Amino acid sequence: MSNDRVILLVEDNPQDEELTLRALKTSNVMNPVVVARDGVEALDYVFARGAHANRDRAAMPQVVLLDLKLPRVDGLEVLKALRANEFTKLLPVVVLTSSVEEQDLIRSYSLGANSYVRKPVDFVQFIEAVRQLGLYWLILNQTSPLAGRL
Amino acid sequence: MVAEFVKTSTVAGAIKRSARSVTMVGTKTIDQAVAGAPRKDARPKDGVVSGGKIGELARQGAEFERFFTLSLDMMCIAGADGHFHRVSPAFAALGYSTEELVSRPFLDFVHPDDVAATLAEVEKLARNVPTIHFDNRYRCKDGSYRWLSWTCAPDTSGTLYAIARDVTETKRTQEALARAKDAAEAANRELESFSYSVAHDLRAPLRSIDGFSQALLEDYTEKLDADGKKYLSFVRTSAQQMALLIDDLLALSRVTRSELRREGVDMSALARAAVTRLQRSQPDRRVDVVIQEGLRGEGDPRLLTVGLDNLLGNAWKFTGGRDEAHIEFGASSNDGRRVYFVRDNGAGFDMAFENKLFGVFQRLHAATEFEGTGIGLATVQRIVSRHGGRVWAEGEINRGATFFFTLYEKESVV
Repeated sequence: MSNDRVILLVEDNPQDEELTLRALKTSNVMNPVVVARDGVEALDYVFARGAHANRDRAAMPQVVLLDLKLPRVDGLEVLKALRANEFTKLLPVVVLTSSVEEQDLIRSYSLGANSYVRKPVDFVQFIEAVRQLGLYWLILNQTSPLAGRL
Repeated sequence: MVAEFVKTSTVAGAIKRSARSVTMVGTKTIDQAVAGAPRKDARPKDGVVSGGKIGELARQGAEFERFFTLSLDMMCIAGADGHFHRVSPAFAALGYSTEELVSRPFLDFVHPDDVAATLAEVEKLARNVPTIHFDNRYRCKDGSYRWLSWTCAPDTSGTLYAIARDVTETKRTQEALARAKDAAEAANRELESFSYSVAHDLRAPLRSIDGFSQALLEDYTEKLDADGKKYLSFVRTSAQQMALLIDDLLALSRVTRSELRREGVDMSALARAAVTRLQRSQPDRRVDVVIQEGLRGEGDPRLLTVGLDNLLGNAWKFTGGRDEAHIEFGASSNDGRRVYFVRDNGAGFDMAFENKLFGVFQRLHAATEFEGTGIGLATVQRIVSRHGGRVWAEGEINRGATFFFTLYEKESVV
């Protein structure tokens, strides 16, 4: 779409990963997608450490699509860590998860999620949701000039 | 305080010695003691006319007597001998005559479990510690007990001047509330963790089923014939149906304390519909199903449908290996209560594990033998208990199982 900044998809379920990638492709989202399979990987990527120590730390993702239930460090902890850091506190984070349990919604928003989207079971609806996400976060939305700046 | 007036002879000395160290004499004593306020406000406007102190005393005496007689709270004077000396007419609520009340030690009327606490309170009074809202149970003439809440001013003479209020209804309400609160909290804690898992873990596989079926339909459309496409659309429909079911159950778990719909329900029809769905899901199965007709009950039709789907679904599932599978739905009457049952001649279960049947995610059969998630019977139990009923089971390994349940058990007389 409008730029080539990375979409960071934090997703531990391989089928969900495949479906999300497919949905992005179907929606003509051309941005590169980096997949992190748990919270540790996600934070390593964002903060350019561990396996991602060599990447350009200044190149922040355009948006993080964050699942909540993840191995090791879960989505809410990732969100907390991102918001606690000056460097990433304005990074757009969209919670993209299975549940609409009230506690998840409340905790996500209190921790500073920018958006909360439930993955529909119906794949046609899923594609539509991803298309709109892409449209909004990659094209319409103007991120803060300070988001992801050192 | 009225009592102080009535037993004037003991009052002055008692008050002088009291812990409050109020020194009062004569009329002043009564004024202040009764009004509990500074003296200047205590004297009625039309107080002393011409009769002098004696007439004033008599007039006030009559007034206090009326106060004692008309009080809706129970007022009494008891002596160091442990007997009531005087009781106000409000005591009639217990069913005894005044003679009956004064003829026995008052502890005789106290609930055996409250005697020790009552004695402790009397001893505290002897040490000049006032009694404020001490609750105990008094036995009425008809054998029932009433909760009384006592206040009593200390009097070192050993005479007790006490006021009691009947707080039985309040107590009952409080106890019922506390019980309901405990039960609701425990149930909610379980529900919370349960529905959290369900919300997250059960939808992902469905998304996969639906998503990849759709992917097949899109990417391999030339390779699929009409039947292939139809079957894939069935797969998608079922996945979406199950997602809806999960959502319904989650909604149920979230609204455990919300109002339950209650209307006339044709239980026989619900059972028939459940069996029809099962037969449609496995058209090749041959199961002999007997459904007792005309079983009309009351409840929330949507939840009862889920309950019967589960019970009959279990019967259907666990008769899977039978050459001649039998399932029966009916009801019997037990002490005037209707007991519904779902009986099958399937795999049954070991009664030693009956207590595990209804736990969430508890399974008594290997997944390879019978599929399932272990949610079904927990759901049944929740639904039945929301309908004021119970569910229980009898079974024997390889000799089938019978699940019984009641609805609105406390009130139902069929």
